[in-house]
Amino acid sequence: MWWYVGKRLLQTIPVFLGATLILFSLLKLRPGDPILNLAGNKPVSQEVRDALAAQYNLDDPLFVQWVLFVKNAITFNFGETFSGQPVFDLIKDTFPVTVVLAVMALAIDAILGIILGTLAGLRRNGAFDTVVLVISLILISVPIFVVGFVAQLTFGVKLQWVPATVGGDWTLSELVLPAIVLAVANFAYTIRLTRTSVAENLTADHVRTARAKGLSNRLVVRNHVLRNSLVPVVTYLGINLGALMAGAIITETIFNIPGVGNTAFLAIQRGETSTVVAIVTFMVMVYVLMSLLVDLLYAVLDPRIRYV
Amino acid sequence: MTEQPLLEVKDLKVGFRAGKELLTAVDGASLTIYPGQTIAIVGESGSGKSTLAHAVIGLLPGNGHVTGGEILFEGRDIAAANKSQIMSLRGSSIGLVPQDPMSNLNPLWRVGHQIKEALVANGVATGKAADQRVIELLEEAGLPDAERRARQYPHEFSGGMRQRALIAMGLAARPKLLIADEPTSALDVTVQQQILDHLDTLTETLGVAVMLITHDLGLAAERADHLVVMYRGRIVESGPAAEILQAPEHPYTQRLVAKAPSIASLRLSSVKERAHIREQAEQAASAVADKIAHGTAGLGVGSSDIVVAENLTKIFKLRGARPWESVDFTAVDNVSFTLRRGTTTAIVGESGSGKSTVARMVLDLLPPTSGRVLFDGVDVKSLSGKQQQLELRRQMQPVFQNPYASLDPLYSIYQSIVEPLRTHGVGSKKEQEAKVLDLLDKVSLPTTVMSRYPGELSGGQRQRVAIARALALDPEVVICDEAVSALDVLVQAQILELLNDLQAELGLSYLFITHDLAVVRQIADEVLVMQDGKVVEAASVTQVFDNPAEEYTQRLLGAIPGASIALGS
Amino acid sequence: MSDIRAGQERFVAPVEETPLRAIDAVDVDAVPENQWKEAWKRLRTSPIFWLASLILLVVAVMIAFPTLFTDADPTKGSLSLSFEPASEGHPFGYTRQGYDVWARTVYGARASVSVGVITAILTAILGMITGAIAGFYGGLADSLMSRFSDIFFSIPLLLGCIVVVAVLNNTFPERGYWGSVMVVVAALALFAWPQVTRQMRAAVLEVKNLEFVDAATAIGASKFQNLRRHIVPNSLAPVIVTTTISLGVFIVAESSLSFLGLGLPTNVVSWGNDISAAQNQIRSGQNLQVMFLPAAALAFTVLGFILLGEAVREALDPKARKK
Repeated sequence: MWWYVGKRLLQTIPVFLGATLILFSLLKLRPGDPILNLAGNKPVSQEVRDALAAQYNLDDPLFVQWVLFVKNAITFNFGETFSGQPVFDLIKDTFPVTVVLAVMALAIDAILGIILGTLAGLRRNGAFDTVVLVISLILISVPIFVVGFVAQLTFGVKLQWVPATVGGDWTLSELVLPAIVLAVANFAYTIRLTRTSVAENLTADHVRTARAKGLSNRLVVRNHVLRNSLVPVVTYLGINLGALMAGAIITETIFNIPGVGNTAFLAIQRGETSTVVAIVTFMVMVYVLMSLLVDLLYAVLDPRIRYV
Repeated sequence: MTEQPLLEVKDLKVGFRAGKELLTAVDGASLTIYPGQTIAIVGESGSGKSTLAHAVIGLLPGNGHVTGGEILFEGRDIAAANKSQIMSLRGSSIGLVPQDPMSNLNPLWRVGHQIKEALVANGVATGKAADQRVIELLEEAGLPDAERRARQYPHEFSGGMRQRALIAMGLAARPKLLIADEPTSALDVTVQQQILDHLDTLTETLGVAVMLITHDLGLAAERADHLVVMYRGRIVESGPAAEILQAPEHPYTQRLVAKAPSIASLRLSSVKERAHIREQAEQAASAVADKIAHGTAGLGVGSSDIVVAENLTKIFKLRGARPWESVDFTAVDNVSFTLRRGTTTAIVGESGSGKSTVARMVLDLLPPTSGRVLFDGVDVKSLSGKQQQLELRRQMQPVFQNPYASLDPLYSIYQSIVEPLRTHGVGSKKEQEAKVLDLLDKVSLPTTVMSRYPGELSGGQRQRVAIARALALDPEVVICDEAVSALDVLVQAQILELLNDLQAELGLSYLFITHDLAVVRQIADEVLVMQDGKVVEAASVTQVFDNPAEEYTQRLLGAIPGASIALGS
Repeated sequence: MSDIRAGQERFVAPVEETPLRAIDAVDVDAVPENQWKEAWKRLRTSPIFWLASLILLVVAVMIAFPTLFTDADPTKGSLSLSFEPASEGHPFGYTRQGYDVWARTVYGARASVSVGVITAILTAILGMITGAIAGFYGGLADSLMSRFSDIFFSIPLLLGCIVVVAVLNNTFPERGYWGSVMVVVAALALFAWPQVTRQMRAAVLEVKNLEFVDAATAIGASKFQNLRRHIVPNSLAPVIVTTTISLGVFIVAESSLSFLGLGLPTNVVSWGNDISAAQNQIRSGQNLQVMFLPAAALAFTVLGFILLGEAVREALDPKARKK
């Protein structure tokens, strides 16, 4: 088990370094004067210029700059926005609401996805399965922002069940609708994966053996079919987190939620590439960390993995 | 006698729904089992024997149904019972030991837990008492160190250990009837024998009736006193085991008794037949050798030893317990043998004995760590240049074990057989086509299969195609790596006959790799017995069968099912 | 014998009722079928496949012959027509800028579908080559390739695209129609290929250990011949399924980028752009068709590809094949 954990931890290092290298290269690929880029293309005096060059180590060789980029990323030093605010402060202020939104979305995704997927898989090709299949295919086909608008218009504007936008003083109940929207696209995949997995396990030899032991159908389904089907689903939910983060940018923008995603969107709109890269770097770090956790969870769920 | 039958199956019909069609898998089967009695159901794959067993325990797959007849367990009809009634029978009244130990344990639960489930579900014991009982049951099933083993996961068990765990599970709630569905066919023969012996003793002491499902007539006759022979969904013959074996009446049973290798290997007639074939083959081969010795074509000098392996050793580096460590694993340890022209040398061993690794080294698919292979006096490693290496390939061709993987599923039969000719640029398109037709004829396949694909052929037919492909380049040596192991007994016998005929006609030399000592007598002249990478015994077939020198060889021979049965003819 | 019990007497079935068959007889009437032909046969009988084909056919005609559907010019807008209701030849009225909604939807198909198709093909080729190399050659090549693809896999598709497009848009401010398409394609492909690589690698690893590959080596086929003749063709099925489904995923991704203002430039007629532009026009809940028409067209097309992928998966599924 510990070797697996160690190996998995070691593997994370090159991945993390590589990812920062890609983001760093993209930052360097921007055309034009790097100092003007940093200052938001406003003319600057020579003093400011020198100060910025020193602050961002622009005179050092590229390799050193990358090492510093990595160091800064690890120490959460993401530089400043054009208006002079440290990017990490921005993230710190906006991150909590995004986490709450993502956790709610993930919970909806996992709970509904697994329940519906299991029911569909247990009665494969039945009426319920067909309905779920059709709905999930439609959900996959409609982009998340269209779903967001439709939900906003219907429940926020027309029916007025919930406020159409969230705004600065968010409450949990206001986040329910955005979380559902965020969950919707992934949740269709979760259903389908669970369904396939359950249907496959249902015909497995060891499930037949469990029935032969005299276990009740309920026990067989819970301990042998569901338990085994969850292994791939959990892995998938981990990969899902990535889509969830990108989706957060869109959902937060539509519902005007003051989260990290919305901040990224505003930076994109203002053309502040360095801020965008900083926020994305932060998100990638979170994602890499979460993937690591999911993989460790995977080892807990599947004893065979621990011995690899 | 007023004894009541434990199980009575009366005119049972089971059908499978495939689309709109209803396929009948079991058609009018009737049988009776008394308490404590062992009966065996024998049949080839697709005969309906497993379906019958699954119907008895109410575990037919989703598209299967009992379409007629009765299954009376202690007088109550299971076929008409509802789900919860059948459920209450499972485990406590009828137990199951399934076929494949690898897939029948849930990989995510500890073995002990899986047995405990059976105890709890059937109300035998709960909590600590159940844990204690699990250990007793595992010990009873012959698993040493049961306390530790119960805490382990299935992947930490070997195949034999898993099968023991499955036996413990099947007997956990002390059922009155145990259905053993090919319980040992995935295991090595010596392990198979140990486990079956143990199962015999156990069921006898407990007074459990056993319904043994098997494809092996010898095994069935050895273990059961009542036999039921199934063929294409029907029971063709049933009755006392000894009677059926000595005087089979139905033509199918007669065929089975005549051809089953475990029984045929005991017959002296097969020894005589083999001697005859060998004589012809050696004649044909010496004619070939003459041509080589006096011509310039071909590889080698035309000597009588066509393949000589000298001190072959293969060491694999395996990953150790820690990432930076590696462990040397000696798969083949100093193996030497000689294959004489026009004869067959068999390499016999259980899984992990290194026999297939030897085959791969002889075929030059795997470089030996040390030692060398001589082909007709020429060191294989000394061959330089693509031309000479291709020449060697022409002379030695393999036929592999798995008929489902040995042909490219995307290639038509014609494409598969013609591929060696194309690769070597032999002949024009017309000549190649003629050669393929000739080869199909040699392996007794109709020319209509040419345009078919492997997926449409049976296992035996695919093996024929693989043999045709191997013969396309007119090789002198064919290496058969478990070439008949995956086939039904009758098909197996048929392919062995084909190989014998081809050897006699073409003067081929075979290196025959097998785990099954029973088939050896029908095809081989020399035998190499391997264990853990080493040669344990090397001798002629007659000597190995009649006078085995080594204890391991004796054990292998003793483990051939049906060895103790007296035959009529 | 005296110890025979009731029900266990000797029984022999009448031979007429249980005739013997020749051992392992060949079914002479069977029609030759390989995996692809069989898959095609299953596809032909699948209603999902025909529904998908119908949808995609409509989209294809829309792309090839937009004038069959509308006479209006999607690039000519007039503010005097702003939010004009539907009229003859303009079934869905006008946008705020006075563009014909229907015409824009019809012409928008081209850009959106091009992005999807080109990205999918590019990803498939990249993934297949890298995956085949990693799986077939193993060892160091595999380790390097796997770690390399892990890196790209660690950046979620849309997040990576946001950065790449943001940078490339700055780098190439004047990039024309195809230039714009290629920027989005490059960004999507850059972070999407590792998935195909992983699949291809797994498939190749499985196939290369099958016995027919050894048989071909024993015949004298070289490593490369083996790869080309046997291994790659037998590893394609999963890649084909993923690629078909990913077509739809890429179209959605492009529209999401457009929504963020990072897709195709606004002068390109595309569904993503139109939906993105429409969001500001319909806050009040009026003129919904301005957004719903391109959104419906997009969803419809994506559904077509997803259904096609679904049908292809069913047809190629090895488990379905055995039955």
